[in-house]
Amino acid sequence: MLSKKVCMLGSLSVGKTSLVRRFIQSMFSDDYFTSIGVKVDKKMVRVKDEDVELVLWDIYGHDIFQKVQMSYLRGMSGYLLVVDGTRKQTLEDALALSERVAKEVGKVPAILALNKSDLIADWEIDSDREAKLTGDGWTVIHTSAKTGDAVEQAFSQLAHAMLQNK
Amino acid sequence: MTDSSLFEILLASQGHALFEHLGEGSFRPIGAYSDWCKRIWGEAAAVDAEPANTLRLAEAAPFLENFLVDAAAFWNSHTEGSLQSGNWIEHTSDGDEIPLEASAVSLDGKSLLIVRNLSHTFAEQQQLYQTARDSLLEHENLIREIQKKEILLHCIIHDLTQPLTAMTGCFDLLSAEVLSDRVAGFVLTGRKESQRQEQMIRGILQAFSADLSGQQSADGKAAEVPDIAAIAAQAAKSFSAAFSAHGVRLQLAPRLDPSRDWKVVGDASRMQRIFGNLLENAMRYTPRGKGVTVGVEDEGSRVLAFVDDEGPGLPPADVKESSARKLFALFAKGKDRPGKAGLGLYFCKVTVERWGGTIGAENRPQGGSRFWFRLPRAAAAAAQSSSVSASASAEKTVAPASQPEDAVAKRLAAGAEKSPVTRATQPMRILIAEDNEANRELMSELLKTRGHTVVDVGDWNEALAALKKQTFDVLLMDEEMPRMGGIETTRAIRSAEASSSSGKHLYIIGVTGNSTEDDEKRLLDAGMDAFFPKPVRMDTLFKAVESREGSKAKEISGLSPEVVPPSAAPAEDAATHLRRTTGGNEKLMRSLAKSFLSDAPRKFSALRNAITKQNADALGKTAHALKGALGIFGALKAVALARSLEKLGRDGSVQGAAEIFVSLEAEFVGLDQQLQALQPKSKPKTKPKAKPKSKSKPAPKRAVHSRRKS
Repeated sequence: MLSKKVCMLGSLSVGKTSLVRRFIQSMFSDDYFTSIGVKVDKKMVRVKDEDVELVLWDIYGHDIFQKVQMSYLRGMSGYLLVVDGTRKQTLEDALALSERVAKEVGKVPAILALNKSDLIADWEIDSDREAKLTGDGWTVIHTSAKTGDAVEQAFSQLAHAMLQNK
Repeated sequence: MTDSSLFEILLASQGHALFEHLGEGSFRPIGAYSDWCKRIWGEAAAVDAEPANTLRLAEAAPFLENFLVDAAAFWNSHTEGSLQSGNWIEHTSDGDEIPLEASAVSLDGKSLLIVRNLSHTFAEQQQLYQTARDSLLEHENLIREIQKKEILLHCIIHDLTQPLTAMTGCFDLLSAEVLSDRVAGFVLTGRKESQRQEQMIRGILQAFSADLSGQQSADGKAAEVPDIAAIAAQAAKSFSAAFSAHGVRLQLAPRLDPSRDWKVVGDASRMQRIFGNLLENAMRYTPRGKGVTVGVEDEGSRVLAFVDDEGPGLPPADVKESSARKLFALFAKGKDRPGKAGLGLYFCKVTVERWGGTIGAENRPQGGSRFWFRLPRAAAAAAQSSSVSASASAEKTVAPASQPEDAVAKRLAAGAEKSPVTRATQPMRILIAEDNEANRELMSELLKTRGHTVVDVGDWNEALAALKKQTFDVLLMDEEMPRMGGIETTRAIRSAEASSSSGKHLYIIGVTGNSTEDDEKRLLDAGMDAFFPKPVRMDTLFKAVESREGSKAKEISGLSPEVVPPSAAPAEDAATHLRRTTGGNEKLMRSLAKSFLSDAPRKFSALRNAITKQNADALGKTAHALKGALGIFGALKAVALARSLEKLGRDGSVQGAAEIFVSLEAEFVGLDQQLQALQPKSKPKTKPKAKPKSKSKPAPKRAVHSRRKS
């Protein structure tokens, strides 16, 4: 059985833990509890008739209080770069983080999850910006941990990309 | 109990589990194997593993597996101190989460791993981080709220400026009329004050134009169901005066059937603003004589509203959808004729989208552009319940704004038809021969406004050709034109008349920059019937042309009370002077200023060259031409300086010309600023030419330039 390490990366309060919880447990809570450590979960997915175990590393939000240790990314097969669509700064921070990742780990499959699509009316990231991200090579998926929209799709698409990259 | 055992018990009581690394990811617990370890990694691992009492922690915990890579390097390095793993969470077999932290330590040649259970302190630690991060998020939210309020402020400011367009249009219409001094003063004051208000509003906007982002907040109002067709019609009515002043036709789409149900989701007053913004935008980009059409179309569950113009269309770069959307971004402005603050289309976007609609812009196949927005139709029940209030709201919003505009427009229209004062009693066919484009345009426009038929040409050759083609009542001719001046041309015409049997006598009026007695004699001796001096003034021009029967040259000059020696003339800025001489025709004023500003650098450059090359003839001719142009704007000091240069040139000398030229340039700087102020803000600056390189004469030190800020 294949096992793939997937890291959840992004700023604080963008919804990394919520996405994992939605993906693993199909649950969501509106309460925000900040993550201060790393939590590892596993979930089996089926990709092209193959069972793949996703080992999800939910890494605390990168901010002025806690910097993400690059050693956590060792052995990572891919990552979900999570951005809060209602806070455009989280996109800039996420992109800066991804640059660090590329330097430390090299190029690995990644999906940019524009999260909180249930609040799209309040989004600060417009379609032009999104188009530029796509133009820069990012696979952008609108997700909502709250409603579950495209959460499975995001992980599934990443799994496919990781398998293609193996 | 040994010290070692005591130490192990102490560590265990503090939530520490101690392991010795045996290699290959295997560990031996030192001391008691804690209950919490069993809950995480299992009892069996501790009991059944081989060799006895051995754990394979790397396999049990992916986080530790990752850490052990770094730990192994640390152990092998025999470094003092410890290596921390950072916090991580492990799940127990019964579903609890236990926060842990691991440390790698080398002691007595042994590789030790200390795993610490953080349960007792984790809650406190998390609370600390939670508080700090909540504060960060609250700060972010606060900034966002402030930004939203700032944007709301911008929208309010934008609303305040929008009626100024209609006001300015009305004042322009009024200015185009011949008014009594008293009324002209009122119009002038009104226009000046409306401009001042716009400047103040711009000032406020600049003060607040920080780096804003985000979107205008929803105000929580319940959606109304206004009649979008009625609002489109009302908007067209409100803007009719402004469009008329710009010479642009504004019409409702012919297929618009007001009897149908056009109720959509939205708010009447804001919808009026959306139409207003789109119409204002279309007016700005549509050339004089072209049209703008506003209308709505049924699209089933939605209604399409549009404003079509016959302007140049969107630039190719903006036709692409992504770029078209940029037009609606905050502070986005068109490149050629930007509006006020770059908020109008942004307001449209955020408002339409809040109502569940879409907005866009595209080029029309037949030319021009279409700005459109789609709104969902109001549900029938909702429409019935609130249509009355929505209609009332529309009326309330629109009526007060439109009534005064309509009243002014009607009054002006009536005045234009009935006013005999503004029109010449006897329209004439007039030929103007003048090489100076600005002067030609000024005289032509003024005479046309007066009701005369005008043909204008730029030199003697064209003048003679025009005279062969048709009959004119009056020939207005510049004394100095390229190759053959007014005097020579007059002589040629008189000679032709003398040899003809028709007995016709063309009434020729000389327009001259020289008004001494000698000049007068020269002109009259050449066969001119009358003359008047530059700069051209409206009243003088009209009197000269319209009193031609039996008039004499001296009479025309004498009838011109405004013709006073420069030294005796009161100081007057260019705008005031132009307003007086053109009868307040703003379009003509701007046109004259534009022509002059585009031509002046060439003339100054020619003067420099003439001085540098000591070409007295060129100096005299160029100074003469410049003098005539400067006179149009009442720049008396500059005219006097140009005259001095002209005299030098005519006397065959350039001695002292460089110093005079420097003074002339300095005068031009002030004039340039005044004329730039008349121009639309997007116009390019007047660029000075390079300074001359003179070997024998000092080159002018100061370059002609514009200080206008765009």
